[in-house]
Amino acid sequence: MNRLGLQAAGLLPLILLLWQPIPSRALDHDNLDPNRPIGMEDAYAIPKGEIGLEGGVRFNDRREGRTQVTFQPQIIYGAFDNTQIEIQGDLFTDPRSIAGANKSGDLHLGVLYNFNTETLTLPAMALRVEVDLPTGVNSKGVDTQLTGILTRSFGRLRVHLNAGYTVLSSPQGQERPGAYRAVAAVSYPLGYPSSFRDTLIASIYTRQSDLRGQQHHTGIEVGIRHQLTSRLVVDGGLGTEFLGPSERAALLGTMGLSVGF
Amino acid sequence: MPSGPDLHRLTIVASALVALAFALTACSQFEPRDKRFYYRALWNFSLREDLAELDSEFNGVDFGHSNLYENLLLTGAKDVTAIEERARKETLAFIATRPRLNPNEEAIAPTYMKLAWRAQNTFDEAHALHRATYDIVVSDEPDKDRAIRDVLAYYRNSAYAITSKRLDHRRLDQFPYSKAFRTRFPLFNATIWSYHYLQVAVYDPLQAAKNLTAKTKAVRPILTTYRGYLDQPPVQWTFMPLTAEYSPAFAARYPELANIFDNLHMLHDNISDILTSERLPTWEAKREEIYRVVDHYYLASADEANPMIVRSEQEHRH
Repeated sequence: MNRLGLQAAGLLPLILLLWQPIPSRALDHDNLDPNRPIGMEDAYAIPKGEIGLEGGVRFNDRREGRTQVTFQPQIIYGAFDNTQIEIQGDLFTDPRSIAGANKSGDLHLGVLYNFNTETLTLPAMALRVEVDLPTGVNSKGVDTQLTGILTRSFGRLRVHLNAGYTVLSSPQGQERPGAYRAVAAVSYPLGYPSSFRDTLIASIYTRQSDLRGQQHHTGIEVGIRHQLTSRLVVDGGLGTEFLGPSERAALLGTMGLSVGF
Repeated sequence: MPSGPDLHRLTIVASALVALAFALTACSQFEPRDKRFYYRALWNFSLREDLAELDSEFNGVDFGHSNLYENLLLTGAKDVTAIEERARKETLAFIATRPRLNPNEEAIAPTYMKLAWRAQNTFDEAHALHRATYDIVVSDEPDKDRAIRDVLAYYRNSAYAITSKRLDHRRLDQFPYSKAFRTRFPLFNATIWSYHYLQVAVYDPLQAAKNLTAKTKAVRPILTTYRGYLDQPPVQWTFMPLTAEYSPAFAARYPELANIFDNLHMLHDNISDILTSERLPTWEAKREEIYRVVDHYYLASADEANPMIVRSEQEHRH
């Protein structure tokens, strides 16, 4: 792991330790959105009418090549019943010329529609449709992604399954024209019955590599979301990829903040 | 744009998902989530920020209802000790932590939420209205009447809004299973009624006090009484506290709000009885009855045909 990766890895536990409750109602820390802090989500949209501003910094300390840092600004709006729309634009540090759908500066638009709430017999189900517009560095063509999401609880433990397929309209060089991704995750509220401020999340995922002929990226991530105030949620996560191409992630780390109003 | 084969693959997946969604809508357990954000205004969180002592008590109350319902369901309401001692004391312990944020009720009652989400959403909307009115009353909002009209209009816009008409609570307390909860679990019932006392009793003192210092002082005696009730639940009470009894000025000024809150509290009692009664022996039977009661007697959308609405003053027997 290089120096930047070590510094970020050291900072994360420190921030987690320093979180202290501050007085103030509630952005829902139990509603899980992608990258906040790990690459999974639950089947629920934010409440109708809510606006969420989310931001995070993600580092990817790769086994080969330079550590990459990603800034993840995002706006989420509960536009309709059970529907959220998202506008996002990830910005990467070097190396920016990576393969895959998500390029630095691409404008990312998404819609998540939640079909139902979980009942005694049915899991909660949602569908996400996303497009990446080629506004970013070395980006060509509109990329499209479709993801199905299930959430099922067992007591307080919630299990989430995400399965998506991304289509690149203009693959470059050895880029795959399409790739699938699958995530299995669990989330659990910490502190019951005396505290309800923290949700622990863990996932295992696999996705096809960006380039043809390479091994799938397969890894695990763990994260926590903490309700800091009525309107603020902070999050942090760590992960690693144990299978994949040579430049796969040795250590992934994310820190972020969500504001709901 | 996606190439031919990939577009074809995406289309097949999307079509399958849409077909699945249509099939599921036919399922009796299929329910939309329909969560709505609270009414956005400058006075949001005024109670939390300016009168945290009272706000934390309400956060404790949120725990109490959900914790009760989950425990009634999971124990089949047969274990008196589990409810009167364990669950009630868990609630008291949570209240004692003076929680600064409202708890995540889906983490407290995951089973109940899956059983009767629509009823829970009805509670959530009414609780948000309760909170909004406290915020307005505590805030320095210059035109409180207008703010309350606005938030009431927003509430009524919800499909989950409880009727603002006066309901005949005595009749609503005469179903075959009524009083099951208070008979078997008198301590917890009196604790629930104590929450409702606190929720309605603070309005008049808060409204009468001119500034924040005065408001803080004005609610102290009520908090003292409430905490006394938590220590020694008022088991001698035979009916839930009503807004007009404890905050007559508020009820006279905002009769629709008073009706909504009293109806909300009555619905809490009905659901406690349904979850307790052996007359409804299965979870499915309990769910059906909860939804029947909510749909026919409580939701504003049922006003036209609702037989529980008090149509004249003589009918009102409180």
